[in-house]
Amino acid sequence: MILYEFEGKQLLFHAGINIPNQQILETSDEEVIVRSPVVVKAQVLSGKRAAVGGIAIVEDSEKIQSEIADMLGQTINQEKVERVLVEEKIAYQKAYYLSISYDGEERAPVLSFSKEGGTGIEERRVEKFVINPMSPYDNLPSGIEGELLEKVLNLFFAEDCLLLEINPLVKTNDGRWVALDAKIKLDDMALSRHPDRTFPPRSVPGHTSTTTEIEAKKIDQEDYRGTAGSAYFDLDGDIAVLSSGGGVSLTAMDALIAAGGKPANFTEYSGNPPKEKVVKLTKIVLSKPNIHGLWVIGTVVANFTDIYETLSGLIEGLREAEKELDTKFKFPVVIRRGGPRDDEAYQMLKEVKDFDIYLLGPETSISQAAKVMQQKAKEYAISQGDLEDE
Amino acid sequence: MSRLLREGAKLIGQGITGFEGSRALPRMLEFGTQIVAGVTPGKGGLVLEGVPIFNTVSEAINKVGEVDGSVIFAPPLRTLDAVKEALEAGINFLLVGAEKVPTKDEAIMYQLAKEHHASIIGPSSVGLINPRRKLRIGFLAVAKTERAYQEGEVAVISKSGSMTSEIALHLKNNNLGVSWALGIGGDIIPGTDFSDFLLELENDPQSKASVIFGELGGTFEERVAKLVKEGRISKPVVAFIVGDFTTKLPKEVQFGHAGAIIEGTRGLPENKRKILREAGVKVADDLDQIAALVKESIKE
Repeated sequence: MILYEFEGKQLLFHAGINIPNQQILETSDEEVIVRSPVVVKAQVLSGKRAAVGGIAIVEDSEKIQSEIADMLGQTINQEKVERVLVEEKIAYQKAYYLSISYDGEERAPVLSFSKEGGTGIEERRVEKFVINPMSPYDNLPSGIEGELLEKVLNLFFAEDCLLLEINPLVKTNDGRWVALDAKIKLDDMALSRHPDRTFPPRSVPGHTSTTTEIEAKKIDQEDYRGTAGSAYFDLDGDIAVLSSGGGVSLTAMDALIAAGGKPANFTEYSGNPPKEKVVKLTKIVLSKPNIHGLWVIGTVVANFTDIYETLSGLIEGLREAEKELDTKFKFPVVIRRGGPRDDEAYQMLKEVKDFDIYLLGPETSISQAAKVMQQKAKEYAISQGDLEDE
Repeated sequence: MSRLLREGAKLIGQGITGFEGSRALPRMLEFGTQIVAGVTPGKGGLVLEGVPIFNTVSEAINKVGEVDGSVIFAPPLRTLDAVKEALEAGINFLLVGAEKVPTKDEAIMYQLAKEHHASIIGPSSVGLINPRRKLRIGFLAVAKTERAYQEGEVAVISKSGSMTSEIALHLKNNNLGVSWALGIGGDIIPGTDFSDFLLELENDPQSKASVIFGELGGTFEERVAKLVKEGRISKPVVAFIVGDFTTKLPKEVQFGHAGAIIEGTRGLPENKRKILREAGVKVADDLDQIAALVKESIKE
């Protein structure tokens, strides 16, 4: 989870790191208590907001309210601004860049430090220090106060951060170190170690979630068994996709696009989710208009997934979606899936007569299945008059 | 410590009495893999599938003697403790199955393994199989094994569990078999990356070529390219990298695996392919091309 600047700064503040006096506002009628001059900052998750009007310096206290009103409700890098941070403007002598993150190459945490802080610097000279996670204070840069570095490192590990970036970190005229920005990314895998956290759910930077995306995410929030819908994105094609397994899903999406098919969504379910969750996800992927096909794609060598259970959930989901949407699904449903109880599952599917089902097995690769799906969906689109025959 | 376990390697299973471990245990045993003891705190004295269970790793080793490795089924937040316990008891090959292990714990595990001169496969490893050596560890190919796996000369190293078997299946459908196949997991800090295993295969007479399955994110494919270029990996490598479609979606989204994320321009599949090709690695644009490229590279 990526934190908004104001949330990140609260973490810094409670770790003993200086931040400017500040106030968070959701409406422009709230009274601003922070004394001018101030910096008004749009709270969005994506970076580079200064270049697109997301940061304003206001010297005159009379103009603060109108600046806030302007910024609220704006869209910055595809994100709606729902909150602004009003901060006292800090005078400083020098700006630095400081970040800690995990480096796959080093397979360790790495602290990066630069004497060129601030935004708009694409190519800064950065010194990197590999950190031993068991003795993090052994290899630290000079030119910055050791006590501050220890606080930042402590925070990084104590809060299970994946990224902690302070840019700029400034040294004020009176010699204090102050964090003027904060970009913190928390490790979702460690969430249960921090039961006291109350950060509300959010989308990813540069994106405002669609209603379907929010609905899909709820499936996992309500039931911890297996995953279904946590990764869901709307796309603008006409082939609904239900894929299983991280690697297979990526392979399948690439293959479908390479075959000339246009996916209507990306989603993934895995880890043997119960039938009810498959039902819900099926309904979600079929809730869109103009679907010309449904592709159910996964490995044919699943290890533990009960294929009978999962494909029964699919059929149930199809039937429920028909009822809810008061329609009949006539589009082709192409299924390639296998593993425990797949014989029973395919036997059951052969007896399903209310959908146009095509069953593929181990002799058909994921790429070949993509071609079958593309072809069937195209034929159906033509038959519906949605696509002209060539 | 070598990751290429010998035939008849003796292993213990940590957390093997749990939901996942107890399902995998009979499957490993029926393949001929020797699981000589299990460890679950508080379950000492239990016998499962004929395998004695102990409270601690050192207790187990005292009773059954030295072992070649441990397969760890502990849940994600207990994984670090299980790894520590195994390393401290002198075990130097670990295969870790848990998904969703916090990255901090992975960094500590990697550091600890280095200090103990031990090797870890995983976390998030689906498992490892070598049909000739009768090794089948973890969850890999526990169902429908014969559908996808036949003994052969090609190693499959994959960030994705299910794609490990899909590639084995594709090879089998094209009359090729596997020497080793394993999931290295798609996390940010894996104990074993492609190169770690490829370097070991240089000394494996059974393996003539390797297939690596990569995806968006991380730099492990880049390391392979570098080592191939330097000649340190000399056996042929065929790479298949997926995730192109994700460039149509918002950035900084994690796709299934923790390491499958594009930040800036790093980790783009097309960049990985380019770097690998420049180093002389054969890159399949489509899954169905892999076998032909393997055959071609073995002939050369």
